[in-house]
Amino acid sequence: MNDMSRPDAIDPPYLYPDYKSTRLRAPREPLLAVPVSVLDVPGPTIAEGFIAKGDNDLTKHGKSLPLGERMVLTGRLLDEDGRPVRRSLVEIWQANASGRYAHPGDQHDAPLDPNFVGIGRTFTDDEGRYRFVTIKPGAYPWQNHAYAWRPQHIHFSLLGNAPVQRLVTQMYFPGDPLLAIDPVYNSVPDEAARRRMICAMALETGIEGVALGYTFDIVLGGARSTPLGT
Amino acid sequence: MGAGRTPSQTIGPFFHEALRWKDGGKVAFAETGRRIVLTGRVLDGAGEPVGDALFETWQLSPLGKTPAPGRDGKPHGFGRVETAKDGTYRIETAMPGGDCPSIDVTLLMRGLLKALRTRVYLAPEERVRADPALKPLAASPRLKTLVAAPAGPDEYRWDVRLQGDGETVFFA
Repeated sequence: MNDMSRPDAIDPPYLYPDYKSTRLRAPREPLLAVPVSVLDVPGPTIAEGFIAKGDNDLTKHGKSLPLGERMVLTGRLLDEDGRPVRRSLVEIWQANASGRYAHPGDQHDAPLDPNFVGIGRTFTDDEGRYRFVTIKPGAYPWQNHAYAWRPQHIHFSLLGNAPVQRLVTQMYFPGDPLLAIDPVYNSVPDEAARRRMICAMALETGIEGVALGYTFDIVLGGARSTPLGT
Repeated sequence: MGAGRTPSQTIGPFFHEALRWKDGGKVAFAETGRRIVLTGRVLDGAGEPVGDALFETWQLSPLGKTPAPGRDGKPHGFGRVETAKDGTYRIETAMPGGDCPSIDVTLLMRGLLKALRTRVYLAPEERVRADPALKPLAASPRLKTLVAAPAGPDEYRWDVRLQGDGETVFFA
């Protein structure tokens, strides 16, 4: 599966006026191409004791189960050559089933769920695999434009094995009609690249009678410019 | 066997609790070294403070080595803090080794669809100008935007301007 899209069409531009907040935060000067730095080395390294057992099951962080459609989210963290990114920290956060974040800054008038915080962490295994149990987040309105609603999504933060692999992204759901009107999703120029942010339903990876299965593989850049060992 | 890269998306405004690390702003190393504070503000194109940024740092150890993992599970050499409402960040760390010490900085925030990468130098401007890595900037007044100002015996001040007058140099 060769990706034929131009590399500069994969990531969004800094200035994307349809997403209003970019207008005063995007740099206007061209970026400086710097030679490989002494800091372009593997790291930071984080030991697995950094997280607690159970941090990857977001449905167990309250006194009882959260509201919403339970789901199992599995996937692999890979580099551009298809090699697993092993023993690497994966951090996620998301809204609850009614589209509200357990965050003091979220003013959306939808109910909080006392049994859902919406924060998860895990490490990939030796095959680059990760697994979370959570609930499907709700869509929510935002102030970007009239009748603006964010599609259902889960935020991901990946450190990879070196700073050049650092990635923050969002995972979306198949068939969501809000994707068509979302400037954040549509800021990615290449259509095939956009679709790589959408997870796939995979019933057999769920828990029979309990949770629906979805898979989402994440591919980090940087491997070709920096040898990162295994 | 190749695979297409996953695109970047904004970190949004609601990352704080999820990405907050205990003592994320106190950068640890295996070695002891001179402890310093790096602080300043992040400002947008209107000069307004950016109160919802994530500010991450990565640097060499006081002896100029690649930091090894910490025994407590905490990564060595890596800092992660949020900006306060007034745009202020503050990192407590150790002076990196080398003749022209620097700290790599990654910024993520609402309104940034992909991370901004830059570097702050904790050395006099003339020495930074001589750094081969910054050759394209050697004669540019913009080089100043990468140099922190001493603000006390063990404190350095460095502001980040995202856009407009005095815009910080960001790296590709």
